Amino acid sequence: MSLLAIEDLHVHFAARGLDNRLRVARALNGVDLQVRRGEIHGLVGETGAGKSLTAYAVLGLLRDSARVVAGRIRFDGTDLLGVPEAALPGLRGRRLALVVQNPRTSLDPLARIGDQIIGVRRAHFPREPMAESRRRALDMLARVGIADPAARLRAWPHEFSGGMAQRVAIAMALINEPELLIADEPTTGLDVTVQAQILDLLRGLVRARGMAALLITHDLGVVAQHCDGVAVMYAGRVVEDGPVGRVLVTPRHPYAVALTSAVPERLRLGAGQVFGGTPPDLQALPAGCAYRDRCGAATPACALPPPLRHDGAGGLVLCHHPVPA
Amino acid sequence: MIGDAAIAPPGLGDRIIGLARRSGTATAGALILLGFALLALLAPQVAPWDPVLPDLTAILAEPSAAHRLGTDGNGMDILSRTIHGSRYAFMVALPSVAIAVLVGVPVGLLAGYRGGWVDEALVRVADAMRIFPSIILALAVVAVLGPSLINVVLVIGLLDAAIFARVVRAEALALRAGSYVDTAVAVGNPTRRILFVHLLPNAIQGATAMLAIRAAWAVRISATLAFLGVGIQAPAPEWGAMIRLGAELMVTGQWWVGVPPGLALILMVVGLNLLGDGLQDVLDPRRRAAAR
Repeated sequence: MSLLAIEDLHVHFAARGLDNRLRVARALNGVDLQVRRGEIHGLVGETGAGKSLTAYAVLGLLRDSARVVAGRIRFDGTDLLGVPEAALPGLRGRRLALVVQNPRTSLDPLARIGDQIIGVRRAHFPREPMAESRRRALDMLARVGIADPAARLRAWPHEFSGGMAQRVAIAMALINEPELLIADEPTTGLDVTVQAQILDLLRGLVRARGMAALLITHDLGVVAQHCDGVAVMYAGRVVEDGPVGRVLVTPRHPYAVALTSAVPERLRLGAGQVFGGTPPDLQALPAGCAYRDRCGAATPACALPPPLRHDGAGGLVLCHHPVPA
Repeated sequence: MIGDAAIAPPGLGDRIIGLARRSGTATAGALILLGFALLALLAPQVAPWDPVLPDLTAILAEPSAAHRLGTDGNGMDILSRTIHGSRYAFMVALPSVAIAVLVGVPVGLLAGYRGGWVDEALVRVADAMRIFPSIILALAVVAVLGPSLINVVLVIGLLDAAIFARVVRAEALALRAGSYVDTAVAVGNPTRRILFVHLLPNAIQGATAMLAIRAAWAVRISATLAFLGVGIQAPAPEWGAMIRLGAELMVTGQWWVGVPPGLALILMVVGLNLLGDGLQDVLDPRRRAAAR
């Protein structure tokens, strides 16, 4: 069974324009996504496709202007959208953890690194002996590759580089051994050796502890090397989902085809053709397939909502005219 | 660790000297206040007379060897009363600023962080206070509640709380959007901890820089209320109340009754303002950047 199952999630942003008319941006339009225990699931797509928003929705961190209009977010069987606000802090950081995008701003500038990591531990284990919390913090810092962790516990965030801050943020997310980790571009800005080190650590935790991870990234190389499954998002929907080997090698959705062929190696091989165009206006989404204006294979049928098709390998494709396998 | 082994942290003495070098105005203000603080602490030792003891042999006496600054209409020694007046100034300024901080800062934090109706209510109340002259409001409230030190302190403190709340709210609002606050929520910190451990130290700077300015305002308002007869009442040696007595006597030539407490009041308010202004230069990163 899936640890995380997002079903038909719709999130809208409502804002008043200068003309005082209410404008609704339909940012998520029926996201379906499953992450199983023991799996790292990649989530890829253009900027604005709704990847981070999906992550924030799972943790209940949406701002007031965003509203969940429909859908369910099942975590280990319970619908997170039905969990009362007062119970959420007990889940966040304990069973569900998030690593956000900007390492430099994700740490409190006026608290020492150690106090912040240990604070996350003690927010959930208040009765644990201080020495034990401290030992765990040291251990976690060492595991994300920070040298001399005992001295670093006393350091301030401004003394850290972006890469080191990101590793601290990852250590904070992992210290309570969450069941699900959502990482929003966790290794962007890290050099490749550190990136590999952290993703290997993550993979080790996922395999050894039966943890699940949702890895949001723009880097298809990271997906290919470290993920088990991958979902491709476009305009607030998952348009293709399946095992990494299948999706990256033989993508079925035309958008996934365009995305995977936009990798430098493939471009050099002349394998793909880069499709132009921009993502659709979320305030005026076309009926039917949102990709049809940019799609080379679009037909009049695409004005109707696209059907969900099984790809035969345990994955799904949301398209009228999927590329034949 | 970066710079840790190379540069030893400066000692307290070095820090004070460093701060003093950074701002001459703050230093001047701090020295004036230090003087007043010493006077207030040592008033019984320094003052030659009991401030409320009438000397019936010297009513409205001119400055002389016995009464250096003369006496008022009750035969009380002006110099002693002026010295003791600094106690009242501190007794109003310190608790009222404390009330303002203790009430205003948490409300501002919560309003900035939560938004919604708390925020709406705070901004409306604070705006209303801004457009309504605070002295008239204070006058009305004290007139209703009755003139006493506690009421004066409460009114000044609560009026000022709105100002602290506004400043802290603005900082909290700016910090909330897209920053470590999101992370703090995402790792499961309870709201209480986010507000007071993570948000407070980062949002408090503007309020810290305001402390001395607000204290100056408290001293001034308290003296004004006493001068108008609704604050601390004579014969208590409060500067405003003393000036009120002296004002009537100016026309008949007994200048020494009103002028000394007036000068003391001016000096103290100037000292607090100098300190406050200097602190703002030192503490507020925006003004520090502008000064360079």
